[in-house]
Amino acid sequence: MRHMPRSLVAIAVLLLASPAVAEDGADSWWSLRPLSATPPPVHPTPSPHANPVDAFVSARLGTAGLTASPTASRRALARRLSFDLLGLPPDPSTVDQFVNDSRPGAWIRLVDRLLAHPHYGERWARHWLDIVRYGESQGFERDKIRPDAWRYRDWVAGAFNSDMPYSRFVSWQLAGDVLHPGNPRAVIATGFLVAGSYDEVGNSQQSQAMKRIVRQDELEDIVSVVGQAFLGLTIHCARCHDHKFDPIPQREYYRMAAALDGVRHGLRDLAPPLPETSRLPASSLHARRLRLQQQLALLERPARHQILKTRRTPRSGTKPPSPFARWDFDNGARDSIGQLHGTLRGDSRVDDGRLILPRRGFVTTPPIPRTLGARTLEAWVRLDDTRQRGGGLVALQAVDGPAHDAIAFGELEAGRWNLASENRNRTVSFEGPEERGADKEFVHLAFVFAADGSVRAFRNGQAYGRAIRTRGPIVFPAGQARLVIGLRHPPTLRARHLRGEVDRVQLHLRALTATEVLASAGPLATAVSEQEFQASLSTSEQKRRSHLKFEIAHLSQLATRWNTWKSYAVSPRPPGVTHVLARGDPKSPGLAVSAGGVSAVPGAPVDFRVPADAPDPPRRIALAKWITNPRNPLFSRVIVNRVWLHHFGAGLVETPSDFGINGGLPSHPRLLDWLANQLVDHDWSLKHIHRLILTSTTYQQASRFRQAAAAQDADNRLIWRQLPRRLEAEALRDSLLAISGSLNHEIGGPGFYDFTTFTNNSQFYDVGDPIGTTFARRSVYRTVIRSGRNRFLDAFDCPDPSTKTPRRAVTTTPLQALSLLNSNFVLRMADRLSARVRRETDNTLPARIRLAFRLCFARPPTATEAETSLSFAKRHGLPALARVLFNSNEFLYVD
Amino acid sequence: MSIDPGSQPAISRRHFLDFAQAGISGTALMSLLADDRPATGSGTSPHTAPRARRVIHVVATGGFSQVDSFDYKPQLARLHGTPLKSDEKPDVFFGQVGLLRQSDWPFRQRGDGGLWISELFPHLAGVADELTVIKSMVAETSNHTPATFQENTGFRLNGFPVLGSWLSYGLGSASRNLPTHVVIPDPRGLPAGGSINWTNGFLPSEHQGVPLRARGTPLDDLFPTRPISPTTERDSRQLLALLNRQHLEQRGGDDALLGRIRSYQLAARMQLAVPEVTALDSETRATQQLYGLGREPTADFGRACLLARRLLQQGVRFVQLFSGGAFGRPRHNWDGHEDMVKNHGREAARVDQPLAALLTDLRRTGLLDDTLVLFTSEFGRTPFAQSSAGVLGTGRDHNQYGFSVWMAGGGLKGGSSYGSTDVYGWKAAENITTWHDFHATILHLLGIDHEELTFYHNGIERRLTNVHGEVIDAILS
Repeated sequence: MRHMPRSLVAIAVLLLASPAVAEDGADSWWSLRPLSATPPPVHPTPSPHANPVDAFVSARLGTAGLTASPTASRRALARRLSFDLLGLPPDPSTVDQFVNDSRPGAWIRLVDRLLAHPHYGERWARHWLDIVRYGESQGFERDKIRPDAWRYRDWVAGAFNSDMPYSRFVSWQLAGDVLHPGNPRAVIATGFLVAGSYDEVGNSQQSQAMKRIVRQDELEDIVSVVGQAFLGLTIHCARCHDHKFDPIPQREYYRMAAALDGVRHGLRDLAPPLPETSRLPASSLHARRLRLQQQLALLERPARHQILKTRRTPRSGTKPPSPFARWDFDNGARDSIGQLHGTLRGDSRVDDGRLILPRRGFVTTPPIPRTLGARTLEAWVRLDDTRQRGGGLVALQAVDGPAHDAIAFGELEAGRWNLASENRNRTVSFEGPEERGADKEFVHLAFVFAADGSVRAFRNGQAYGRAIRTRGPIVFPAGQARLVIGLRHPPTLRARHLRGEVDRVQLHLRALTATEVLASAGPLATAVSEQEFQASLSTSEQKRRSHLKFEIAHLSQLATRWNTWKSYAVSPRPPGVTHVLARGDPKSPGLAVSAGGVSAVPGAPVDFRVPADAPDPPRRIALAKWITNPRNPLFSRVIVNRVWLHHFGAGLVETPSDFGINGGLPSHPRLLDWLANQLVDHDWSLKHIHRLILTSTTYQQASRFRQAAAAQDADNRLIWRQLPRRLEAEALRDSLLAISGSLNHEIGGPGFYDFTTFTNNSQFYDVGDPIGTTFARRSVYRTVIRSGRNRFLDAFDCPDPSTKTPRRAVTTTPLQALSLLNSNFVLRMADRLSARVRRETDNTLPARIRLAFRLCFARPPTATEAETSLSFAKRHGLPALARVLFNSNEFLYVD
Repeated sequence: MSIDPGSQPAISRRHFLDFAQAGISGTALMSLLADDRPATGSGTSPHTAPRARRVIHVVATGGFSQVDSFDYKPQLARLHGTPLKSDEKPDVFFGQVGLLRQSDWPFRQRGDGGLWISELFPHLAGVADELTVIKSMVAETSNHTPATFQENTGFRLNGFPVLGSWLSYGLGSASRNLPTHVVIPDPRGLPAGGSINWTNGFLPSEHQGVPLRARGTPLDDLFPTRPISPTTERDSRQLLALLNRQHLEQRGGDDALLGRIRSYQLAARMQLAVPEVTALDSETRATQQLYGLGREPTADFGRACLLARRLLQQGVRFVQLFSGGAFGRPRHNWDGHEDMVKNHGREAARVDQPLAALLTDLRRTGLLDDTLVLFTSEFGRTPFAQSSAGVLGTGRDHNQYGFSVWMAGGGLKGGSSYGSTDVYGWKAAENITTWHDFHATILHLLGIDHEELTFYHNGIERRLTNVHGEVIDAILS
């Protein structure tokens, strides 16, 4: 039950007749032979437009008695080329310009223009990321995010855009950090080796035996991606035994593993910072954030006003209780009621009426001259982040001795307020909710210690969780305790410091009632809680507000990631001596081996001439040299076949990452070798290969189905037409954004999150459909989470990021229809397209319909279509028409 | 070539090939074909006569304890509170080996077959004669997620297709209007790895598990996320059909395009079928009570089980139910490191009655004759406590070396057990069974030779069972 459509018998016979295919034995398997230097055959029907690619293709078609299809229309060509090179639909002006360009060379001009477009790199980076199992989270149980993995993605896109010679492109991915240690880009490139999953739990478990298996699994992942991506060889199949099909002995798997044994997952510091990563300066993110904050303030103002007004006249009429001492930071850390003036310590400072606690700041007061039994601690605070653990906000601390009662954040439980005490004597969970607001705005906290030993917590005047019962009240005799702000208890260990800002602290010498706490919090706090906003905003205002807030928070997170000079890349460790493992079992080590290649691959010597105990750099440098050797025929054949695949929907070899005996035979072996030679001879320029292919008449053929030709070559292996191709998931999403005028064209930078995430041992991702410019970027900038897949993209065959996918499956399912008909995203894009055509045309419905067709199909509607669409739009509106166009086959398929 | 999508022409052999060439897999086509046939047909002809046609797989995440449930160890009770006597130091996940700990639940023999079942599962004990227990399972790792991957895919790594995806691929769809492979997650949270647990891996995405909810909106995007009037909907479909028809004719009638037109008809049928199949209220009061609906702690899992039965009746091939979610705090799964009584007591109470109800219900409707019900966990738990040496703690650590799973339904010897562990219930001793053997047996019962169900991916004809696996003949009836 083989999925990959196998050739029909007739075609197989044709292929076997080819001289590049071996008759005997594995030694001379076609892909392991040196490149043949066959010149293009004489074109049977010479034409001024044909190029050498056509000569090879026509010759084969002629042998089979088939003819090529006529050239496609210019509109079809413009659309095809735009999707092939940019992954986006052409805008109508580009189509018109090309259609009306009567000068010679119109096509090559268009090809060159699009090849020079920065969106080209993004499109082809996506193809590459599929092959290299690129993900931005660890996978396995924890699936922690890798916030700095994006630099590898940008490096790939940049390499395509600058037409980096393919041999260098590959060398850097294998050994950039050791070849050019001072070049941050070369370090980033090694993100390739560690783009796969990482088993954090497996690597930290107690069992040493299991850890060794985890490491062997990790190496298999790395050897397999190196073998498949660059050589089209499944070397990893020889981990447990000699390869079942290809001439790869088990020993050679371990030689490759030895070459890569220094490779470890990790975060690399990048120094010096890259100048060009400031292309989108953080200031522009800042400006956008300010704009959104203004919009948010405007939206919230009436509600806030209303809410604060009701607070000023509390129904009970209770006055806020007077504290014993108060630190409001309007005048340093002085007590504004009594004499308990605080001292600023560590890196704390007072600024604009607030106590700032950057990292290790705190404030202490003199001993409190009163007995502390029943009491209340209050504080107004904003946290730098809610991930911090264990910092103390306010504590009562014995003058000598460890006894203390502190309001602490995330001490017992992450993300929650806790009562902290020495040896956790009085520490019990309040079971309060996770703090979700204190990193954004000030909150008021009050801990009420009653004489009976019970402790109640309040947040913004509301009870926080349940009251807890401690083992009894701790009483500090007069003069025996001091108040500490910003530190849980001395000494000043990092984990005990709170990071944030404190607006005010109050100490009461009695247990306040709930009403008193409310009164204390109410008139002073300007913070309006989420619940209060929700109660006073309409549903649509709430929605808009939550989208704005999500985007604002996201923008500050993006700015941080822009300015973090790190990249998820190889963090080498000194390798050990590699042994051949019987049946792949670390418990059965055999012969020791040194780094080396696969002997069946001709070209460079397979012995890297490094000792078995060599350090990491010479091993990987030798591996890179061996793979990128110009006389290694697999290296160039595999990549030109990949380029071909994405221009025709099928490769000359149908199994792009397997050129072994289990893989497919090339349909045009000489053409494949000719292209491979062209690559080597033209300084490994991939854009040169694109040009050769795109300027061929073979590429420019129409895609119309021809019954007679199909009867002979149903697979189109001889390329008698272009295959109609369905948009890939990302191209589909990007097109909807582009057509509706919503696409944010920013190039590069940290990816957007289309999810909210929280960590509870494992990291969890709740994937949604966030709205805003920040998220309307191309799909290649979607942060790729292994456990947080996007439903819309998945439906259209976006692969599991943990699999290496050299060629995507194309399925047709009812879930796709439901996504395109009903999802929020598509309906929103339909509205936007409708708005766009209103904006960009004069005030007539037919003109709007015409533009909608041109945007979706790269052609105006026919007279009948225009008429039908007009009467439809009159009855049901333009968004309904846009929805129909988005669902049509013409939109989803490229001719 | 004129195509009227309304008339649903029979698809010829040539069309079949064209489908394959356009990259649409054979089974996708089969699901289109199945559309024209009664809902009993299967996608491919089986290798052997199938004993079962559909599967419900209950995944108890976290590692469920064999020695407290199905693997009765009288010796463990006698040695309770004494240290383990072993030549080797147990290689356990958290590295702590406490004293041996007996089951917290008493065991009794149940049913005609005399299966030993503990008080942890009083309701399941009532249907003991339906169960076939394998007591000698082993896993390759005691790390939750790789072990769960192996339980579902045969491999410890990310990126391989799960059992349900293989079955969807191998058997095709038997439903005219529902997905073939459905997943019902625990409403308390997704398992660690989220959708990785129902991934199609390298199989085409149509084989990915479709998550359904047993409460609230069952399926995302089934209907427009905002109201669209029926007239607009109808006219939209008509206009779409018109545009697609013209497009198809201009392009010489390519079958990939025709397949897409068809998929809209299937989608429309799914819009009718999903609300119908998820309307659990339409079941009788007695049935709802049987499954424990409407009361704690059985309501969640009861709904999931009842929905699973309804899905099977509509031709869904594979329904996977999760008992337990991820490994955070509080734990919502069977990972009883700290306190077995509290943890397993709570989890078992949620599922015991619904599972017994499911088996009873499937039996009384006759479905159990050709349905498989599987209850598995990624590994078991240690017979010794997870505590310092010499201490009798209340929790147990992960145990990959020996654990129990049970199965029920078509082709199996009910009321029997297979294999055994050592005197402690620690390591499998007799008839050691791997996940590959387990998977091979499931496929066999469904009429599939596990060595023949393959998919070419990057140089390898991949199998669910990798290069291993033997059918366990001894448990077959």
